[in-house]
Amino acid sequence: MAKFSLYSEESNRSPLSRLWRNFKANHLALVGLWMFIGLALLAMTAPLLAPYGIDQQHSNALLLPPSWHDDGDVHFILGTDDLGRDVLSRLMNGATYTFGLSIIAALMTTIIGVVLGTLAGINRGFKSSILNHLLDITLAIPSLLLAIIIIAILGPGLLNTVWAIILALLPQHIHSVRNLVVDELNKDYIGAYRLDGASRAHILFRGVFPNIYEHIVVIFTLALSTAILDIAALGFLKLGAQPPTTEWGAMLAENLGLIYIAPWTVGLPGALLFLSVLATNLVGDGLRNALQARKAT
Amino acid sequence: MLDYLLRRFSLLLFMLFALSAFTFGLNYLFPGDLLTNFSGQVNTSFSQSQMLEDKYRINENVLVQYGAFLGRLLEGDWGVSLSSGQTVFSHVTLLLPATLELCFYALVMAVIIGIPAGIITSAYHRKWPDKIISTLTLLGFSIPVFWLALLLIMVFCLGFGWFPMSGRIGLLYEIPAVTNFILLDIWLLGFPYGGQAFVDALHHLALPTIVLAMYPTTVLTRFTRDSMLNVLEQNYIKTARAKGLNRRQIILDHALRNALLPVIKQIGLQFSTLITLAMVTEVIFSWPGIGRWLIDSIYQRDYPAIQGGLLAVSMFVIFANMLADLTHSMLDPVSRNQSHGKV
Repeated sequence: MAKFSLYSEESNRSPLSRLWRNFKANHLALVGLWMFIGLALLAMTAPLLAPYGIDQQHSNALLLPPSWHDDGDVHFILGTDDLGRDVLSRLMNGATYTFGLSIIAALMTTIIGVVLGTLAGINRGFKSSILNHLLDITLAIPSLLLAIIIIAILGPGLLNTVWAIILALLPQHIHSVRNLVVDELNKDYIGAYRLDGASRAHILFRGVFPNIYEHIVVIFTLALSTAILDIAALGFLKLGAQPPTTEWGAMLAENLGLIYIAPWTVGLPGALLFLSVLATNLVGDGLRNALQARKAT
Repeated sequence: MLDYLLRRFSLLLFMLFALSAFTFGLNYLFPGDLLTNFSGQVNTSFSQSQMLEDKYRINENVLVQYGAFLGRLLEGDWGVSLSSGQTVFSHVTLLLPATLELCFYALVMAVIIGIPAGIITSAYHRKWPDKIISTLTLLGFSIPVFWLALLLIMVFCLGFGWFPMSGRIGLLYEIPAVTNFILLDIWLLGFPYGGQAFVDALHHLALPTIVLAMYPTTVLTRFTRDSMLNVLEQNYIKTARAKGLNRRQIILDHALRNALLPVIKQIGLQFSTLITLAMVTEVIFSWPGIGRWLIDSIYQRDYPAIQGGLLAVSMFVIFANMLADLTHSMLDPVSRNQSHGKV
């Protein structure tokens, strides 16, 4: 509630370093960031780090429980599945598909969303009205349903899933970028800039973007958490990645029949999914809070 | 107000028009024969397909085809399901209520839990109730719905055996479908089987509702909290505080009304997400709703069914959004005066 600062000294740090200080103060968000970096590294290097190949079968070690269990084997830290494949190696490789592909999908969504959202934001009147109402309609179709329809057209498969998710996520992100741009364009400093005779491109690249790119990162984290959940949900429904692929959702669906005798084959992929979404949300939330805190000071 | 209603109504018409155009276009995009995609008739004889071509105006231009398509939609002739051979419309009328029932209870639960939780977190901003609830909502926000469902099944169905795993009601009870809302049907029948059917239906409802309510509850909690915090920053709250009102009076009498306005809009926006989650939930709990039917239709490449399901679900979402919008503007006079073409 205090609206005055104790010391009259001015803080001349750059906005980015102030953001980082605010972000750092939130320990949960920092943990999320580390988890996020770890998962991203895992997604890139999983085939090198994994102790076994994803399809390597150990016929003498079927359905071994994790190694801390009495019947477990330390060679298979997280146990094996019904075909004698090492669960740990499969989970590590799953990061590449679920997490890596989600990052790509979210990046593409954000880039296309920024381009189209900006176009929607700088147009006014009839043109923007039409665009907005078209977007509203696509918002009315639930995103998973839209993805399913796109898959019905393209056919199931991992890459088609990525396209479907990008297309299904786009409308809401175009919308939020548009709102950001419109909000920024209505501010006085842009008006002053315009009076100075700045061109449209100048206003956008010198005025608007430097002030909204942090918000775009927040939008990216939102897109990423939805993308992870959607890729996994489609894999779980057997519409995305097909079984030998180690996508986490598909692994969960594949092992569903083992839920009685080998609950760890169902629990662990879900736990990793949960952790990766949690890490993304922690980073996104932390960033949003840090942005708000910077604005308040 | 009348002007506002008219504007909303024309927007509704436009959206329904665009939705039908999209659905119509899908017939061309789906793999397979155009006539089959439209009608759901396979292996037709020559005379039959001649008749269908006439009915569906296949040989005329796209606009005429679209006109015929709209006419059929309004008549309730939505084609025939490829897999069951029954009309898509009869499937939709049978299955949509089951989904709506599930979504409705989940939403009610989300509102009952989420909004008070949001108010508590904002009242104790940055104190321990806020921290606990915020952490919990973040966890609930991040949990994949199908994993949550499987965990609950593992614990409560396989472990304790408290709740049944699938379906809407036990096989022992026979409830003739009147409205297809199971609790309503049982009520209309006057609680048969000594009320046990009702209890059994509630038992079947419990887990799917909890699973489905998880996400909207967390969203509503966060949204209510943010909205409350925004309102509590405003000057009229400071005035109220300066007048010496206590926190209870400030929050319940002054802040809450204004803070809940955006929340009403947000509830409307939840329907689209709810249906998405309901599709997954229904598959896991074998709930005989439209979501499970749609996913089955994909497996079976049942294109007329996919179209029908899309149309029904999206129309429902559009109407629900519109209703929330109207409620919002009825309660908030400021939002009625927004200029045209602005969102």
